[in-house]
Amino acid sequence: MFESLNGALGPIYFWTFAVMALASAISLVFICRHPLSAALNLIGVMLSLAGIYALLHSPFLGVLQVLVYAGAIMMLVVFVIMVLNQAKDHQVPRFDGFSIIAIILPVTIGFSLVGFLGKQALKAEPTAVRAEIQPISASLFDLTAAGPGYYILFELIGVLLLVAVVAAVLLAKRRLDDPTPAAEEKKEDAHGHH
Amino acid sequence: MLSTIIDWIAAHPYQVVGLVLPIVIPLALFQILPLLVLMERRGAAMIQDRAGPNRAYIPIPFLNVKVRGFGMIFNLTDAVKLLFKEHFTPPFVHKGYYRIAPAIPLITGLLTPALIPWFSPIVYQGGVLSGQTIDANSGILMLFAMASLSVYGVVLGSWASNSKYSLLGGMRASAMMISYEVSMGLSVIGMLMIVGSVSLTDVVEWQGQHTWGFVVQPVGFLLFLVSMFAECNRNPFDVAEGESELVAGFHTEFNGVKFMLYMSAEYLHMIVASVLIATVYFGGYQLLPIPGFGPEWVKAHVGQVLAIGLVGMALGLLGFVWVIKNRKAIHARSDSNPQDKAERAKEYGLYMAVFTLAGLGLLGAAGASWALINIERLGQGWIDFITAAVQFNIVIAKALLFCWLFVWVRWTIPRFRYDQIMDLGWKVLLNVALVNLLVTAVVAKLIG
Repeated sequence: MFESLNGALGPIYFWTFAVMALASAISLVFICRHPLSAALNLIGVMLSLAGIYALLHSPFLGVLQVLVYAGAIMMLVVFVIMVLNQAKDHQVPRFDGFSIIAIILPVTIGFSLVGFLGKQALKAEPTAVRAEIQPISASLFDLTAAGPGYYILFELIGVLLLVAVVAAVLLAKRRLDDPTPAAEEKKEDAHGHH
Repeated sequence: MLSTIIDWIAAHPYQVVGLVLPIVIPLALFQILPLLVLMERRGAAMIQDRAGPNRAYIPIPFLNVKVRGFGMIFNLTDAVKLLFKEHFTPPFVHKGYYRIAPAIPLITGLLTPALIPWFSPIVYQGGVLSGQTIDANSGILMLFAMASLSVYGVVLGSWASNSKYSLLGGMRASAMMISYEVSMGLSVIGMLMIVGSVSLTDVVEWQGQHTWGFVVQPVGFLLFLVSMFAECNRNPFDVAEGESELVAGFHTEFNGVKFMLYMSAEYLHMIVASVLIATVYFGGYQLLPIPGFGPEWVKAHVGQVLAIGLVGMALGLLGFVWVIKNRKAIHARSDSNPQDKAERAKEYGLYMAVFTLAGLGLLGAAGASWALINIERLGQGWIDFITAAVQFNIVIAKALLFCWLFVWVRWTIPRFRYDQIMDLGWKVLLNVALVNLLVTAVVAKLIG
């Protein structure tokens, strides 16, 4: 699967994905007026990134990027934007006071990253398969005592997500036991009209 | 120059086939589309006890027969109508997205065949020709990723239409997608856990060595089937279209070619979903659900396997001739006018002649393949390719059965309400899938 990526086609793929990612990102920040266009451009960035992950011999990471981020999470975002279609988001001014932080922070981080990483050559083996299912599962679920113990973190993140879900349900259904008519109506509304 | 190219092709048959297959297989799947439309219309007529599509015809000049092709001509008229219709763009739509959106489901649908193992890997001097174009370890995840991307076509099209009905349809589609993707993924993990691999080729090979997936994972199979119905937006889950309440749902504002793109994408996804069900739970290219009849056995007896398949097809055709004969007799007794009766009798006579000839031809081909296709006569290369073709057809045959199931369910079960779909997805399917996963994990650990 990877022979063609290491060969003459590799740079072509990389530049295609890189230009696509940058174009989508620039369009996302500077050109799009409507939130839905911005969301679609974000999907474009994610798809291009997935392609670059695959070029870096991490196809599993790329597939998850498409499946989880472009597929599921962005679908939720698009869903929310469509539900809130009436909010005139595209009439909000593009730049305000907060924009200063939003520009300075990523620029600083970006420059420091480039400065730090640019000082030393990356010593990665270009042909080694990295984020594929077997190596990830082998290091993530290495249950030996001498192992890195990532599985504990994995379980802890699972518990954290569960707590977050319970909290979200509690916040959303605060009036679950409130028998007043308003709460009943709200419950029925949440259930959906048909 | 030309002779050099031909020589190179003759010297590298496996490489050439490997280059051509990624283009040929999606196109071949696309050819099943009109058959599916015909199956849908005929199936609907059969289940609802109607006459079915029988108005459009092509007159054959010298025989003086009107060929109706059991409704096949309707596909032609549909295509002509949709292609030559005015490309009307409503003034209130978002032009860019309105034009892009119908292409998205079709593109993802044409990409997915690259991830299905159509035949067992062929080992040749200097390499392996895989039945999967993209022989990735995470193939099944990539399939799900494609499925989740295809919904953007529906969502984007509905939003770009700038109409309430379309928007409601698109919102339903995206909500359903999010809900059913979870149980789809969880239901298939049980099977992957038993096999111990995420690669679809490994899944099919495992089924050849043990037994087909639906035997070891019956609950998972049912969950996956239901989720696939939802993923394809097929009845009883087609609330995104919802003609009874939303005009035509997400494609209310689409017409002509754009509408055709949506429709063909729907049928293409139906085929791909059927192929996926057949691959994961019904053995893919494996011939029988018992071990011992794996790809090597098929390769050793490919002439005989092909002959049996051809005999089956011939018997089907001859049985169909018998059905036409009965139809002819029924029509002769009916109270339609004499001219119509004479025309129909002639038409049915033509079909009977053609199908009898075709059936006899297939029987002859079966005899020839039994006698002639063997490794001494043809050599390794041809046997490899014929085996691959036979395995491809095994997958397609299994998938067509599930396509018929899709049609059958559509005309049997009424559409669910939106809230019923959400309840089914989150309160039933998800929980059953989780319990199934737990039980499978425990049993798999105990057995080893």
